[in-house]
Amino acid sequence: MNKERVVTPEKMFPEVPEKIFLFRSCTGSMEYPGTENAIKEVMKSLGIEIVMDPDQTCCSGYLLTCSAYKPEFSLAVTARNLSIVERHGLDTYMFCNGCMGYNLELAHIMHEHPEYKQMANDVIAKQGYHYEGKTEIHHVQELWYRLKDEIAARVVHPLNGLRVAVHYGCHYLAIQYNILDDAGYPTFHEEIIEALGGTPVYYKERQMCCGYSVGRGFTHKETLVQPHLYKKFKSAKEAGVELMTTCCPGCNTALDREQPNLTKRYEEEFAIPVIDIGQLIGLAMGVPLEKLGFDANTIRMDGVLKKLGIGKGDNHDN
Amino acid sequence: MPREKYRDHDENLRAKVDSYKLVENLETCLACGKCTGNCPVASLTPSYNPRQIISDVLNGNAERWLASEEIWRCFWCANCATNCPNDIHFPLLMMQLRYMATEKKYGLKYIMPFRRFALRAREDGLTFGPSEKGREKIKRLRSNLGASPWPEISERAKAEYKELFDLTGATAYVEALSDEDEKPVDLRYTEGRITNE
Ligand code: SF4
Ligand code: SF4
Repeated sequence: MNKERVVTPEKMFPEVPEKIFLFRSCTGSMEYPGTENAIKEVMKSLGIEIVMDPDQTCCSGYLLTCSAYKPEFSLAVTARNLSIVERHGLDTYMFCNGCMGYNLELAHIMHEHPEYKQMANDVIAKQGYHYEGKTEIHHVQELWYRLKDEIAARVVHPLNGLRVAVHYGCHYLAIQYNILDDAGYPTFHEEIIEALGGTPVYYKERQMCCGYSVGRGFTHKETLVQPHLYKKFKSAKEAGVELMTTCCPGCNTALDREQPNLTKRYEEEFAIPVIDIGQLIGLAMGVPLEKLGFDANTIRMDGVLKKLGIGKGDNHDN
Repeated sequence: MPREKYRDHDENLRAKVDSYKLVENLETCLACGKCTGNCPVASLTPSYNPRQIISDVLNGNAERWLASEEIWRCFWCANCATNCPNDIHFPLLMMQLRYMATEKKYGLKYIMPFRRFALRAREDGLTFGPSEKGREKIKRLRSNLGASPWPEISERAKAEYKELFDLTGATAYVEALSDEDEKPVDLRYTEGRITNE
């Protein structure tokens, strides 16, 4: 794997893979199941075959960082899941920054400390697995960026200048090597929004985190998370944002589900719908609305859909 | 002098805290404060100061942060780490500070909410599997998409996830979590200083 911090998409993928392993995200398949579904649909149109495996479990990272248990468990879980991907001979693609960050960090720890890899392998050997460390870990957004032009060519519902604010989420940008951009001044999501015909909005608190990771949404909701998110949404509102995108269903939960609480507490309406960037790509590429799952969202998409002139039953299979 | 009473000088504190050896470059900290200046929690909680916490760990002072409320505030956003000139991964230190604090019975109220989630995840092989009512909602949303009503996770996956919980000691750890003898925490880094509160 490439050990440079930031690499170009062409360097990351000299060849676009024909087949990838898609790692199931708990939040992306339960809280916002439309995320997983949209990604499958978009990959299908792009001609990339998706493999999933029902033997894969949760990445276990979230509760680890909430201090609910210790790293031994998560190291073993990571080794087991990634060994399953290795049996398919594929690279691993995440659609949750949490899954991405935790798997990568734990895999990195196993590479740097062979004794942890040994420990994990000793445990999973009892279940008949062995983790080599061969499978590369990617985020699906890396393919969106690599295939930006192909995506643009397939747009049937251009966003007509819709003002879109992106949210990158920290656990991708904080990765130590082989990523598309660091936390300096990333723009690859904005470039994707442009390719879809939208207007990216560089709002002031663009890089502010969602506040929900490591469970602070449960322990410090009033003291920290809400005042923190209030700053973020205030700056987005001031910049005239009409839609916000994420690349992590965990961030999506924080940014979507907290808005009514902010409105109640600060007596200010935001009403900015928050969806996964994969869902937005699907929408622009004409994936039928029924397959995108916006009905899971707290802040309704109706206004955006109306503005774009997309209604139920619209179906533009390409 | 309030600041001096924290000099509890444990020569081996750093090694004890970083028992997993995940932040071995900690002593390269320049005390430059970029971590603190870029921290969203510090911007809301002025006494929350990653640089100060690192300095306490390196100087062998445990008393102050152990009983502090501050260490429970970190979002793990890693802004500190991405801005650190020496690539110090503060969140991985933070994870271990919290382990040590809970061992000493501090801050248990901040992990108790996750005990229930962990025991549930042990059964489901998934995190945040909700109760019956929530399950119905998920099934409805997924069915609307034309997907299987429940995420496609096998019985084998669930059984093996549960077994890993048991084999790695996580089950015993989670089951033993209790706030019975919990010691109180408060904003310790304000002590001996003028605050606006
Ligand atoms: S940014 Fe890094 S070097 Fe600077 S004070 Fe923080 S941890 Fe130390
Ligand atoms: S990870 Fe914690 S200490 Fe670091 S910047 Fe984020 S909130 Fe602050």
